[in-house]
Amino acid sequence: MTAPTMTDRTGLTGWLQRRRGVLITAALLVAFPFIISIVVDGQGLAAVWSNEQGNARFLQGLAIEVFILALYALSYDLILGVTGLLSFGHAMFFAVGAYVVLIAALLQAFLFAIVLPRVKGITFALVTLGFASVFWIVIQSSDLQEWAGAEIGLQGVEAPVWFLDTTNHRFAFYLVSLAILLGVFVLYQRIIDAPAGKVFASIRENEDRSLMLGYNTFWFKLMVLVVASITAALAGAMHTMHQPIVTPNVASLAFTVTALLIILIGGVGTLTGALVGAAVYRLLQFYLDRWYGAASELLIGLAYVLLVLYLPYGIVGTWRARSLRIKEGRDRLLQMVTGASKETSSPEE
Amino acid sequence: MSVILETQSLRREFGALVAVDDVSVKIEEGSLHSIIGPNGAGKTTFFNLVSGTLKPTAGRVFYKGEDITDLPVHRTIHEGIGRSFQITNIFPNLTVFENIRLASQALGSDSYRLFRSHLKFTEHLERTNEVLEEVGLTSRAPTLARTLPHGDQRKLELGMILAPDPDVLMLDEPTAGMAAEQVPELMALVQSIQEAGNKTVVLVEHNMNVVMSVSDRITVMHQGALLAEGTPAEISADETVQTAYLGALYNEEPGRDGGKT
Repeated sequence: MTAPTMTDRTGLTGWLQRRRGVLITAALLVAFPFIISIVVDGQGLAAVWSNEQGNARFLQGLAIEVFILALYALSYDLILGVTGLLSFGHAMFFAVGAYVVLIAALLQAFLFAIVLPRVKGITFALVTLGFASVFWIVIQSSDLQEWAGAEIGLQGVEAPVWFLDTTNHRFAFYLVSLAILLGVFVLYQRIIDAPAGKVFASIRENEDRSLMLGYNTFWFKLMVLVVASITAALAGAMHTMHQPIVTPNVASLAFTVTALLIILIGGVGTLTGALVGAAVYRLLQFYLDRWYGAASELLIGLAYVLLVLYLPYGIVGTWRARSLRIKEGRDRLLQMVTGASKETSSPEE
Repeated sequence: MSVILETQSLRREFGALVAVDDVSVKIEEGSLHSIIGPNGAGKTTFFNLVSGTLKPTAGRVFYKGEDITDLPVHRTIHEGIGRSFQITNIFPNLTVFENIRLASQALGSDSYRLFRSHLKFTEHLERTNEVLEEVGLTSRAPTLARTLPHGDQRKLELGMILAPDPDVLMLDEPTAGMAAEQVPELMALVQSIQEAGNKTVVLVEHNMNVVMSVSDRITVMHQGALLAEGTPAEISADETVQTAYLGALYNEEPGRDGGKT
């Protein structure tokens, strides 16, 4: 290994190469409903677009849920995994999006951003918990029943445009949510590679040192919170489009813990982990419930314990650590085989 | 030579304890100025007051004639004062390269860029390579900072305050916890940095041999107050210092520089 230098892969081919993981995933997921339609349902390609009933339609619905959860978990990973801020109020961001969509979400991002970057560590966790708890109580109050539906939540929200209509244009909604997810994912990857993203990591590592280096960490935490809360609100708004009912549960502490759980499963701070984790979380939850009914919660708990025991850094985190070690081992082996005669060469190459 | 850094009756109280008691010091531009004193003399508190980590109870700090007493801590480096810590203070899970790159990126507005790869800001990469070369850590660039041996972590810390090219380097026991045989190497490095860049170095150090050999001037602190100030020769000849501090130190802590690694 050498010190990082600029890659010479520029232009379109360079971009395609660097983003090949995302592009392959996108291609596979676009093809996915068609494959299911043909192989499982025995229908034609047109059936997907014409929105016919069957496994293809159903699995698209499940996949959309995964995309929304992944988007939500991704935004939590930016706060916790990248910047190291433990927030207990993330569900509130999602819920604001779910209940009142984006304009209010922007407003809230700036509102809370006035307070949140000023507090650190456990205080930050408690302040976010406080905000979220208040919000949770407010949306359930009977005074707001007309707008928020109290305990029942929102029902029968109409899609504003046809491609957000999950009932009649499922495939279009599937593509839109997939595009949003992957777009945000690429954007986030750019952010953590940019100078500002590097400062976020320095805040996670040692905020006092970051200040001493000359970074006004307040503005950087503000940036993170605004970006993440807008993303979470976007996920919340999509959730409202997709689900027939929005319940107050999306504002509860349990739903913040869901985000935490997803990135723990996938790997904290890896971004990719949020996507993998969301898929594992939702599919596990859905299929265990379908196959084992009431016993499924116990099985899910067991699965999480096993994951934590055997994949302590999450699926993606552990995978990266392993492949790094395999690479190091291979390099050592190669050196033993070929480098016996070149003993003067540095072992760090 | 002109005065670059000056404190006027600097005072800091922690409840009933007066940690820094009306300390007025003038530090000349381009000099290596050491601050010595037994444990608890208030040296680190004095550093914290000058670098803005702590606010003084009373008194002012002037840098290049400007009052910097109320400057927030993240602004000090922008003015040109870099400060290192007695306890190693780095980004443990980032690479050595990234630790220094972050330090070099901190000045200017590039840091707020959100969507452009940090690798495209080549001036910071070049500066980082320069600094790595200077402190002798080029071969360790891709390693994680926490896996470095202690001596190299001290060098990394030095590199981090060097990266933005400050005029004043405030080093709080740069050799703390180092093996005795590594101390001369680091001090030679500090001296070469000071002479090559015509920088001002303010040094807190316990090792008397080091202090006496490298310093242009020495300030002695004792129980928060200023005890004496002068050239190394004057200080070692000073009877108050000898009885109040030097004698006590040598008697209490024999072999300090050799016994502790």
